[in-house]
Amino acid sequence: MLEKYKISSFDNFCKKEIFIKNIEKYNQLENEISNSNNLITMGSNYSYVAAGFKEKQLSININKFNRILFFNKEKKTITVEAGIKIFDLLNFTLQHQLWIPQIPGYPFITIGGAVAANIHGKSCGFHGTIRNSIESITIFNKNQGWLDLSCEKNKDIFDLTIGGLGLTGTIVIVTFNLSDFFGTDFITSITKTVSVYETIKILENSKKYNNLIYSWNEINSNAKSFGQGLVFDSKINITKNKIFNHLKVKERKKKIFFLNFWNKITIKFSNLSFFYYTKYLKKNKYIDQFEDVIFPFYGKEIYFELFGKKGFIESQVLISYLKINDFIDEFKKRVDIYKPDITIFSLKNISGEKKYLRFEDNKICLTFDMPNNKKNIIFLKEIYKLYIKYRALPSVIKDSFLDRETFEKCYEQADIFREDLRKFDPKRSYKSELSERLFI
Amino acid sequence: MKYLIVGASSGLGKELAYVIAAKCINLILISRDERDLKAIKSDLEYRYKISVEYYAIDVSSTDQTSNLLNLQLGAINDIDGILFPIGMMLPNDKITNSIVESNKLIQANMGSVIYFISKFLPIFLKKNKGTIVGFGSVSQMMGREENAIYAASKRGLASIFESLSINTLFTNIKVQFYTIGYLDTNLSYGKKIFLPKGTVQELAKIVFKNLNKNFTNIYYPYWWFFIGQIFKIIPFLILKKVYGITLNNKE
Repeated sequence: MLEKYKISSFDNFCKKEIFIKNIEKYNQLENEISNSNNLITMGSNYSYVAAGFKEKQLSININKFNRILFFNKEKKTITVEAGIKIFDLLNFTLQHQLWIPQIPGYPFITIGGAVAANIHGKSCGFHGTIRNSIESITIFNKNQGWLDLSCEKNKDIFDLTIGGLGLTGTIVIVTFNLSDFFGTDFITSITKTVSVYETIKILENSKKYNNLIYSWNEINSNAKSFGQGLVFDSKINITKNKIFNHLKVKERKKKIFFLNFWNKITIKFSNLSFFYYTKYLKKNKYIDQFEDVIFPFYGKEIYFELFGKKGFIESQVLISYLKINDFIDEFKKRVDIYKPDITIFSLKNISGEKKYLRFEDNKICLTFDMPNNKKNIIFLKEIYKLYIKYRALPSVIKDSFLDRETFEKCYEQADIFREDLRKFDPKRSYKSELSERLFI
Repeated sequence: MKYLIVGASSGLGKELAYVIAAKCINLILISRDERDLKAIKSDLEYRYKISVEYYAIDVSSTDQTSNLLNLQLGAINDIDGILFPIGMMLPNDKITNSIVESNKLIQANMGSVIYFISKFLPIFLKKNKGTIVGFGSVSQMMGREENAIYAASKRGLASIFESLSINTLFTNIKVQFYTIGYLDTNLSYGKKIFLPKGTVQELAKIVFKNLNKNFTNIYYPYWWFFIGQIFKIIPFLILKKVYGITLNNKE
């Protein structure tokens, strides 16, 4: 029996009525998928955009497929079901001083969702995206059945599946190659910068380090220098003998305030409070808890909730190191003209190989958030023009507003992805609001 | 210590396996699909460093159940307790079911439990120690149009546990029977229910906490106890009339 649910994307922009089937057994998974027409797989539904559902369509929820199937400490590999959540996986591997370095910013995201989105962590300048840690994947496709995917077996489908937005089938099992993690926490150092340009210089010089490096910049149209900020550089506090304590995280129910709290005054106030608190009250170098570094938004969910019922806009984009300063010049001009309410602006390095819809390349990654309102959308559309001009790569899983035109122009391989996906699954059984919006 | 769970691959059975394993107690798991059992086994062994055996059989088959009990579990006598969180439902379970369907339902929901008890009760009696936990359903309170054979099997099971309770008087064997209302499992998923559903997580914790206690019947969620008493007090003739009126109004 199917139950109707009203569900929304994490940015609260896309709200739809859908059907959900919670799956607990393997034969149930096969039956439900084989007997439905169109469907998509849902993890924890923390995707900013509507990647795990489509209106009046079935979403297969695999949260209960969350088991550890195989672990080899010597070979540093682990095989898990795709419904396992990031914190649960880490709680197990970190006991053995192992982890995957590409960790998304929230602990309750499922591994299946992370693979389908090809997520990157905070050390992505060095470690790249989660693709680099994946050994193999097992999917169940409505028309093709069970398929094992790896670099040796079904490589073409393996490539389509990582960052493939769940459109090749339900990701059921994933095997990871793990990396060493000799420690229980991090040492974070903070560098103050006077502008975005100085931040970029620091980030560019740190490309080769495997630390977790990202910036926070204050974007204010009236400021003397554009984007004074802080660069956070966290490295593992190496202590071989200390045993990792379980991550004490508890999932909370999403609360949404009726009205948007973020405006010029509140943004200015909170940014200055954060900046001066960090500048004067926090040490330049300190021991940072694992959870605080890896899951920066955990415990600070109120930041998102304060955007109110209309939600927020997040745009994340990759820009070449050669063009980033020119891009920022033009970005600043548009900030001066349109005066958007930018709540967060952040930069980090990223590395990888651009292919299909994967959000990866050897570039600099820029992220900014704004409340969802008319003024900010107009600004965003202007920024999309810059993305096209600077051949930038906007993330499709962060931005509910990204239109087809910008997507087509920025993703040179969009058509190749479509073609290869149709070759694999001519019936195109897996669909989401996101895939429909981008005509995938 | 070692517990045997019949019906361990989903819902309450799976949750019980995790609650018990978390206390470092070894397990024997029985369910239909080997893939589910294999996944649960590896997960429990990696997380809790316990030993888990599993047997994939269909308990609605008398042959498979008796084979398991006589051959594979034949030599086992070191079990400390058995739990039966099994419940099999068919979509159109009516009084007019085919013989095959009715037999399947009776066997899965009641017959298999009797088989297991007949195998392990003598062992428990010999040791003068052991726990046997059964799970009924609020559907057993009254005969019904839908799920007729399921409800009948569960009522039969309640009677078996009463008999078991009498048979184990003056022993250290603990016999427990839970009458369960709607839970947030796949069996009740999508059904419109006028009372709130209980959670398998909470029930599993309650069952584990009570493993060393001796009682006959406990209702979960607790409000079903009061409904159960009403069903016991009111004569069936009146219940039948009320049911008829409800049906007429529906039509």
